[in-house]
Amino acid sequence: MRRLSWAIAGVTLLCPMLMGQAGPYERQKVDVAAAKRGSAVYTQYCINCHGAAARGTETAPDLIRSSLLLKDRLGNELGPALKRLAGHNPLTSEQLVDLTHFLKQQLEGTARNRNPAVPPNVLTGDAQKGRAYFEGAGECAKCHSATGDLAGVGKRYEPMDLQQRFLFPRSTKPQLATVTPAAGPAVSGEVVKIDDFDISLTDASGQYHAWTRGPNVRVEINDPLRQHHEMLDRLTDQDIHNVVRYLETLK
Amino acid sequence: MKPLLILTTALCCFGQAGLDPAKLLQPPTDSWPTYNGDYSGRRFSPLKKINQSNIGGLTLAWVRRTVVAGRQAGGGNNAAVIKGTPIVINGVMYYTVPDHAWAIDARTGREIWHYEWPSKGGWHIGNRGAAAWRDTLYFETPDCNLVALDMGNGKERWHTSICDLEQFYYASVAPIVIREHVITGVSGDDLDIPGYIESHDARTGKLEWRWYAHPEPGTPEAKTWPSVEAMMHGGGMTWVPSTYDPALNLMYFGTGNPQPVIAGQGRAGSNLYTESIIALNPDTGKLAWYFQPSPHDTHDWDAVQTPVLFDADIQAKPRKLLAQASRNGWFFVLDRATGEHILTSEFVKTNWTLGVDAKGQPRLNPAKQPKPDGALVSPNQGGAINWPPPSYSPDTGLFYANAARAWSVYYLYDEDDKPEGWGGNDRSGYSEAMVQAIDPKTGQIRWSHKWPGNGGGARSGLLSTAGGLLFAGDTNANLVALDPANGNPLWHAGLHGPLTNGPITYELDGTQYLVVAAGDTLYAFAIR
Repeated sequence: MRRLSWAIAGVTLLCPMLMGQAGPYERQKVDVAAAKRGSAVYTQYCINCHGAAARGTETAPDLIRSSLLLKDRLGNELGPALKRLAGHNPLTSEQLVDLTHFLKQQLEGTARNRNPAVPPNVLTGDAQKGRAYFEGAGECAKCHSATGDLAGVGKRYEPMDLQQRFLFPRSTKPQLATVTPAAGPAVSGEVVKIDDFDISLTDASGQYHAWTRGPNVRVEINDPLRQHHEMLDRLTDQDIHNVVRYLETLK
Repeated sequence: MKPLLILTTALCCFGQAGLDPAKLLQPPTDSWPTYNGDYSGRRFSPLKKINQSNIGGLTLAWVRRTVVAGRQAGGGNNAAVIKGTPIVINGVMYYTVPDHAWAIDARTGREIWHYEWPSKGGWHIGNRGAAAWRDTLYFETPDCNLVALDMGNGKERWHTSICDLEQFYYASVAPIVIREHVITGVSGDDLDIPGYIESHDARTGKLEWRWYAHPEPGTPEAKTWPSVEAMMHGGGMTWVPSTYDPALNLMYFGTGNPQPVIAGQGRAGSNLYTESIIALNPDTGKLAWYFQPSPHDTHDWDAVQTPVLFDADIQAKPRKLLAQASRNGWFFVLDRATGEHILTSEFVKTNWTLGVDAKGQPRLNPAKQPKPDGALVSPNQGGAINWPPPSYSPDTGLFYANAARAWSVYYLYDEDDKPEGWGGNDRSGYSEAMVQAIDPKTGQIRWSHKWPGNGGGARSGLLSTAGGLLFAGDTNANLVALDPANGNPLWHAGLHGPLTNGPITYELDGTQYLVVAAGDTLYAFAIR
């Protein structure tokens, strides 16, 4: 059986050199209903040797990485292979096409598995310790309150989003700045744009101001998220999971 | 009449001469004949017509917008994004976006010819540029072809397949020509496929050799994988063009992440030759030496950043050196003749290691591997630096990197013993961007210039010049000239968008031009 895996691996590696560029390239579009029927075919004939996820086992090769199946369209490669390979059942033409839709569905799922099928469980910490950190070492309570701005936060967000937002709050509040030109009064407001050369902001009345930066223009930035940014160097993963578990209880 | 006239002009004045191969061995002056300007990867120009004393007079020479219809060509919404470095030969500039190549007059930006490849598919994420050999221009297409064009008229001479779309490969790399070898790299990390690099005959396109980013089964390096199957599907894409030392006859490039990308539990070991700096003989494809910046990577930190070549005294001994500022946040200096490790240092603060091992390779902290409930990691997947090229100035002896300190949370989604594909991802994040000037003799940061504002890295390459200038893109839409000695900004121009490639410079008829790309537009500057 190991020989078979090797044979398929060999084809995989040789293939790029042998491939021509005939015809426009299009992957087989998965027919979901056919894939569902194909799943039953897979379970009946294939799963024992090729495994639950078609990733192969000790006794049979991986069908996701198989160059034969990557090349296959609606059974044109798989059909002849099933007839050729010892110990494989010939399928009806309908079963064959259904099976290819199932296997292509698995393939496309693998190629897109940068996203979770189900949200991961991030509630692995200790809420009591999270609360202690929130109120103590983390200094969260200096700006936030479990009964004030964070009341009900556990209801408003899924746990994974809660974790992301605690670490990387959205910049709903722009940076604030006070600009003091040599000849004029200081102006404070929300930063519109800042770079090495210019700064612009809108003041409380909505008026737009802009200056060319230089030694005579003092710029003081007040980033409302500064403490969150600085926290990233201090937080342990355990602190994070404890705090998220605590925040999730605020319902 | 006009197109005919232009074509005739092109044939008469540019087409026949082609690239003098000797140009590739010299620092670039009246040309920029290869991705990095020359083989060294320094992106340092000896030109000094534009310099610290007159930089205030640097002004717009021409602008050229690239409009391509239909297909995504490196950007969204059918917009072209120029991520490649143009090359300039005999007064003509050649540049690319996926499926397209242009020849334009390097003095005016005026189009001479445009070539469009009839695409069959593949990822259109970007194209890093073209290469030249005599009067032939080469570029890779997303659907896995190396295309050779007549530089005089843009007509196709031949094309040849360099990878297999069926296996989810695609092609985006700028080829490099070494003597009569056209060296190509490959891209793609959706499926678990091996990376490789190829050499093709410059005349015919015939495959000369292929080097896979994995060891031969049975060799000691193969023991860095749990099985031959894992190794043969272990990734290591070759995303960025090579550098080359003609005296040693060695080419240098980095390899990308192992596969599966994030879920690494099925590939225990350091996973050679992924995440490695590789030295090969370009005539045979034989491995001379390797060094691995990210053993057993699980963060998508391709170690493909340009290996920059320069010579310097280390402990009072002259050495032939190679340096890489790697995506994982660490800086490495090696002896490029032998691969001997000389120095390892952080060029931005990171949080994922347990120090450095005896070989000079960072030791991965298991706690900072992706976790089902998340691990806070710095840098993020985008990295402390990415593909945009760095620069080294022999005048200052400093290595410059457009860098970022970035954080994200890495999640493991697939806990199976045999995961495939990615099996996880990171979610960002916060980042701060800065230019780091690194002393390669000590690894110390000589100066750091933080780009003002929060968020986003600066995805531009760098260029240093003998005019005492370091050109960079900031996180806004400025092209900035910094003082390479201390990082002070000296000049800037606000463009319509952030820089998207590496700046180049060349001198024609006594005028020094500086050219950068921002999205679909090329901007040329000169002192007038």
